[in-house]
Amino acid sequence: MRPLWPLAVITFKEGIRNRALYGIFLLALLLFVANFLICGMIMQEVGKVAVDVALSAVSFSGLLLVLFVGINLLAKDLDRRTIYMVLARPISRRHYIWGKFLGMAMLIVTATAMLGGCALLSIGSVRWAFPSYFPRFAWSPVLLALMLITLMLVLLAGMSFLFASFATSSFVTLILTVVSYLIGHGVAAIKALVESPAAVGIEVSATTVRVVKAAYYLFPNLSLFDIKVQAAHNLPVSWTYLAGTVAYGLFYTALSVTLAGLVFSRREFP
Amino acid sequence: MRRLLATLVLVAALAAGQVATLWWAAGARQDLPLPEDHSYVLPGPLLRVVAGEFRGLAADFCFLQGLTAYGKLLESAGPSQARDSDWQRVYRLLDAATDLDPYFFDPYYFGNAVLSRNPEMIPRINQLLEKGLEWRDWDWLLPFYLGFNHFYYLQDSGRASEYLMLGAQRPDAMPLLATLAARLAYQENRTENAIVFLRGILSRTEDERTRELYQVRLEALEKIHYLEQAVLVYRQHYGEMPGTLNVLQERGVISAIPEDPYGGTFYLDADGSVKSTSELTYAKGGTSNEIPAN
Amino acid sequence: MVSIQGISKTFREGLSSRKVQALQRLTLEIASGEVFGFLGPNGAGKSTSIKVLLNLIRPDDGKATILDRDVSDRRVRRQVGYLPENPYFYDYLNADELLWFGGRSSGMTADDLRHKTPALLERVGLLEARKRPLRTYSKGMVQRAGLALALIHDPAVVILDEPMSGLDPVGRKMVGDLILDLKHQGKTVFFSSHILNDIERFCDRIGIIAGGRLRLVGELDKVVPAGETLEGLFLRAIADDFGGLPS
Repeated sequence: MRPLWPLAVITFKEGIRNRALYGIFLLALLLFVANFLICGMIMQEVGKVAVDVALSAVSFSGLLLVLFVGINLLAKDLDRRTIYMVLARPISRRHYIWGKFLGMAMLIVTATAMLGGCALLSIGSVRWAFPSYFPRFAWSPVLLALMLITLMLVLLAGMSFLFASFATSSFVTLILTVVSYLIGHGVAAIKALVESPAAVGIEVSATTVRVVKAAYYLFPNLSLFDIKVQAAHNLPVSWTYLAGTVAYGLFYTALSVTLAGLVFSRREFP
Repeated sequence: MRRLLATLVLVAALAAGQVATLWWAAGARQDLPLPEDHSYVLPGPLLRVVAGEFRGLAADFCFLQGLTAYGKLLESAGPSQARDSDWQRVYRLLDAATDLDPYFFDPYYFGNAVLSRNPEMIPRINQLLEKGLEWRDWDWLLPFYLGFNHFYYLQDSGRASEYLMLGAQRPDAMPLLATLAARLAYQENRTENAIVFLRGILSRTEDERTRELYQVRLEALEKIHYLEQAVLVYRQHYGEMPGTLNVLQERGVISAIPEDPYGGTFYLDADGSVKSTSELTYAKGGTSNEIPAN
Repeated sequence: MVSIQGISKTFREGLSSRKVQALQRLTLEIASGEVFGFLGPNGAGKSTSIKVLLNLIRPDDGKATILDRDVSDRRVRRQVGYLPENPYFYDYLNADELLWFGGRSSGMTADDLRHKTPALLERVGLLEARKRPLRTYSKGMVQRAGLALALIHDPAVVILDEPMSGLDPVGRKMVGDLILDLKHQGKTVFFSSHILNDIERFCDRIGIIAGGRLRLVGELDKVVPAGETLEGLFLRAIADDFGGLPS
């Protein structure tokens, strides 16, 4: 921890002061305001829609944060050679990756905490305006959903580190991260589809099944972290599920960052 | 070197942990309850706004969701026990897909094939097909489907004939359409007409599973046609109606009463037509009388 | 103190298989308390040698040590201060935070830092600007901030890559005074430059590198024969690379 902390702190500070962050927050704020307008058009389940919109806004803004602020934090270090000032310290390349990741995780947690606060405020104010349309509402599943969103973003950041460790430019990292995000959210549904193709009347070749299964274990299963539906309808979410998902997120993140460190420790910076 | 080995061992352990927790969490997720109204699908016009320039892609996505929803419906309950809301969800998704891209043929085709397993959905299917009729103004298949649905499920030979006439005028239409349109002008020969219809549809259906759906119906209709012919023979011979189908067998007009592929039993209705307790659908356990009679 | 033993390094140019030999069996010894000037035209291998010492580049062959420790040991760098060529730091940090990072990551206590930071910033003339984000700094200010970062943890060995580039005369004097200061404190200073004047003013020993090979090394007053200038010596030393004296 000792060699990681100073780097984590300056990474966090550099990230939190980034101008792009203001833009992202502004967008989120607009979405929260839009929540009011959208809810005004809903006839019955205002509560569900309010939670849907608010949580999706947090998730989307967080995604932008990881893609445009997070990836930049690492990529700029390599592009502009600011990494020299870090590696000239008694900091190994592995330490560098972990310290940077720690700072990024702190940034994500802080940002989602702030966005989440705004989301709760937005839900709360809609509820205040339409109190009778929140028949099945509770705060705790919304908080749990926010927690899993945060974890998902941290995992995605870990993946972006892995890509950055071997990619030659930040653009490649960005593309790879976006692709893994898209695959990560679709892979579970696609796996379910190809495993029982008869049910929907499609035909699937054995190769497709193998490819999809490989993707299922290779890419992060991001849909696990999505309990927005449960939060919107206040449905029970089992502790087994939560524990499993949190453990999965931590394992996957640790794996990505460890691999990133391994690849990175072989790199040179001419 | 030892450092690298240690890292690789760590990586292997983390990978194993990743897979194990994935199993755990994915298993637990299946037990999570789904909301009752998960069938909510945003209305088409709103989806058009949200989808922006990706309307086509959104349409494809909605259609695939429709496929999945139908798969879930079959998996969870089977077509006879499925709840209305499940059928509605499939319909809404297909409707949304065609709102996003009204030229997209697959949702019409798929909707017509599978939603008809629940006869209550027929008006919905027709609504969907009507939309396609307007946009795909070169396509004779959609009026053909509409014609069949009106003739067979809604007993409206007049409307059916109109649709078929419309279809017959579209490019490359099967000659059968004109013939059928003419035949439907007569109320007679209902079963036979239905068989001709189905054979026409089958000749244009390539997908194996969809063919199966139509083939079962065709098989049932052919059996009914066979029985109706036997009743006719009996009447000419004895000058009266047989009381039940068993009489046909006893008197040697037929060797055996064929089996209903839908799992029901054929019987002779009071008006002299042959019906089945399954009412030629899997829906509602074959007990309701909602399906229109001959 | 600082020792480079027979180092070679070949780079591959982009994705092509064309290889560029950046360093060829470079051997160099720098004694404790010495100010060593590393001279060479652009692309001669000065920066590559320095990056080998910082473990930013790993040599294909040979060995580099500082204070008798291999440079791949990260703990070596607790005793090393480094100023990169054209340094670039984080946009949104200020000088205070930059030095906080440098000090803390090199094992200094927070107390130590509180005393040293203002004094050092004063020395490089950034005390006024210490709370401003680095992105608002001029090139010279960034260079000076980089120098402060290299010195904050009081290293025994200071490695400066082109410390004078981009500085105005006032800045050059400031950096020159700093180097002389370090010399008086008995620090080992290794700096590269292509400005011969600077080398002449500060250095005890010089080395001339061209085409990845060391052409000449020795004490300044001994390698420059009487009646000749350092400039003449430099041009002759690198001459075979250019096929004769450049005009």
